[in-house]
Amino acid sequence: MTMKRIALGVVSAALLAGTALPALAQTLTVAVPGNDLATLDPHRASATFDKNVINWMFNGLVRTAPGQFQLDTIEPDIAESWETSEDGLVWTFTLRQDVLCHGDYGPLTASDVVYSLNRAASPETSSYSADYAAFETVEALDDHTVQITLSNPIPTVLGLLVPFNGGAIICEAAGTELGDGFGRNPVGTGPFAFVEYQSQQFVRLAANTEYFRGAPEIDEILFRYVASDSSRDLAFQSGEVDIVNGRFEQSWLDRMAGLPDTTVQVLGPYELHQLHLNMTQPPLDDIRVRQAIAHAIDRDQLVAFRGEMLTRPATSVIPSGYLGHEPQTLLEHDVERARELLAEAGYPDGIDLRTVQTTLPAMLTTMEVVQAQLAEAGIRLNFELVDHPTFHEQIRQDLSQVVYYGASRLPVADIFLTQFFDSDSIVQKPTAVTNFSHCDVADAEIEAARTEIDPERQAELWQEAQRKIVEAICAVPMYEMGQPYAWTNRLEFAVPQEGSLNLSPSINETTRLAD
Amino acid sequence: MLGFVLRRLGFAVITLFAVLTLVFFVIRILPGDPTLVILGDQASAQSIALLRERMGLDQPVWLQYLQFLGGALRGDWGTSLVSGRPVIQEVLNVLPHTLELTFVALVLGVVLGLPAGIWAAVNRNRIPDYVTRIVSLLGLSAPAFVSGIVLLLVFSIMLRWFPVISGGQGTTLLDRARDLALPAINLALIMAAYVTRVTRSSMLEVLSQDYVRTAMAKGAPARAVVWRHALRNCLIPVVTVVGLYLGILIGNSVLTEIVFNRPGLGKLIVGALNQRDYTMLQGMMVIYTLIVVLVNLLTDLVYGFIDPRVQYK
Repeated sequence: MTMKRIALGVVSAALLAGTALPALAQTLTVAVPGNDLATLDPHRASATFDKNVINWMFNGLVRTAPGQFQLDTIEPDIAESWETSEDGLVWTFTLRQDVLCHGDYGPLTASDVVYSLNRAASPETSSYSADYAAFETVEALDDHTVQITLSNPIPTVLGLLVPFNGGAIICEAAGTELGDGFGRNPVGTGPFAFVEYQSQQFVRLAANTEYFRGAPEIDEILFRYVASDSSRDLAFQSGEVDIVNGRFEQSWLDRMAGLPDTTVQVLGPYELHQLHLNMTQPPLDDIRVRQAIAHAIDRDQLVAFRGEMLTRPATSVIPSGYLGHEPQTLLEHDVERARELLAEAGYPDGIDLRTVQTTLPAMLTTMEVVQAQLAEAGIRLNFELVDHPTFHEQIRQDLSQVVYYGASRLPVADIFLTQFFDSDSIVQKPTAVTNFSHCDVADAEIEAARTEIDPERQAELWQEAQRKIVEAICAVPMYEMGQPYAWTNRLEFAVPQEGSLNLSPSINETTRLAD
Repeated sequence: MLGFVLRRLGFAVITLFAVLTLVFFVIRILPGDPTLVILGDQASAQSIALLRERMGLDQPVWLQYLQFLGGALRGDWGTSLVSGRPVIQEVLNVLPHTLELTFVALVLGVVLGLPAGIWAAVNRNRIPDYVTRIVSLLGLSAPAFVSGIVLLLVFSIMLRWFPVISGGQGTTLLDRARDLALPAINLALIMAAYVTRVTRSSMLEVLSQDYVRTAMAKGAPARAVVWRHALRNCLIPVVTVVGLYLGILIGNSVLTEIVFNRPGLGKLIVGALNQRDYTMLQGMMVIYTLIVVLVNLLTDLVYGFIDPRVQYK
């Protein structure tokens, strides 16, 4: 039934267009370097290429402005307005009345929102349940009013309600009816609706002609998995692909920019790449050794290596542009000083360090440069090369003294600081997330900032936390890297594309594909 | 002959059981946790524990093994840890694409390779022989991903005859043929190189036999001697190589599948390994083993058709 209705929509749109022109459905083809999808359930999806598609199918109560990812651009989406209590604990949202679920699942009401947020908060159904721990109750006051009550203030409530991860709103009837199958048959409310999936091949979306902001200009999106770098670029060159997600290399951007009628763009949010140093294991338990490593790293050279357009030097232990980010004074590149520090620490002949390293090319090449930089200061970094799943398991078992990790999160300081530098998140603990360095120097500030209501005081706490982590050298920030994209100039966006939380361009009802 | 087939199938069951057991334990010894792959790097320890429990990964390995064996005996290969869909269904989705590609590549390879090999043999140490040997050596040495990209550059970008992305989704026969052409040629080139070299050396050996000299001496035309007398006798080694290579082709077409973006068994195996999809890997290894065993059996049976002296005991 779902497919039939969408197909009808497509056909009728094509017929309307066909009064003047031959009926040719407009298909936008996107190619990404993946093998296959894992899941299109937004509350579960963690792979970049899964989120890329989810981006075009779902709404949140609020959203970041199209083409933007910063939380200060938040504007209404399904909710047309909202108010909060004085203490910031009770949030009341008034919903639009014209929102329809894809297919035959009918109008979206407050009970769908309640279901969806509860689903996002449950560890049984969501990978992001921890983010919603402070959501004490979510209630429908009437068909179009939703009230969220928090157990304690949190840094961003609206940030958790944008269509990203747990914030994507799914329709209750579809969620309960499809159960585990939802990930292969997602039902949302967004400008494009799921039609079909062919394993290892593509996901096909069709325009949601009943979208509450108006029917999309583009009829269909074909999201293709093209694992081979060369074939993907050739397919773009031959015109079979309109948008291509590229390689993390300046040379790729340069080559694409040289093609006719092509726009090359690096989308945010930028991932922060840093070296996490295990502070509990000798010789890294000595701060002088960690300082020596920081002095040995040449950020500018790394940026030059990865590409000036794709990357920029890191400025703190959280990515720039995040709410609460404050540029820090990082140790300068100074090989002599690094050698002196090692000698002071009792290692005049240098040190040997062990790192478990993934064979993913974009990460391995960076680490080869890091290895060469450290070697100049007498720090011998020994690789243990493993495939990516093994890498992820072993770095969580303290098997790597130096962990190279690149990440972007919801752009608010708290989440990044909590996951990477709060002692609760230390790997191997029951509450483990991704604190590979065993850093615990800023616990007090991170915790206090989490519930601080006064934004100025909160910013001060986050600033203090960053300063302490930088000073203790739990991690050595290196560079920030965006998402490389190229698209045909036939594609016309109504607004400039700076990025999106789901790391794909914002293709919505206003996006056009010229003939 | 029926007895022979049945006995061989009996051995196949033992082979399958051994492969199944080996695969089951080896993939569990590999480091890497499927729950981490599925849930991503922000999942809480609680979510991970819940998922492990739901997938039955918290149980002792021997218990998992018994359950797996029990299921397998009933024909239930379980569901993919990642997609949640039945393993059999996932495999059957892509198997036709793999078989189609393999079959066409095989036929093309034999059609190209056999005459080339014979041509080289009858012109031994003359120009046709040198040309065939050099070309077939090139075919053997060029990796599939290099020859694939060259084919794409020439036929898809420069000449624009074929699509770059040959998804194998064409609905009409012509569309399917267009999708299949380049990947099949890419695989067939390697196949043809093997067949050429084996045919050449086997033919040379047969041509030096007494009965060939006798046929020549009694004045039979050279063409008839080669095609009627020698060809059939030189085919056994060729069939052996084709049979062996067919098994390799089905699993190893992964590079071709990736370059031309076709769905297939090879890509499925690589994907499942990257995601540590235990159940999927188990199911696929068994199916792959089954195919290899069947192809070997078929090869043995073909010997009998070619050479009536072959007896099945």
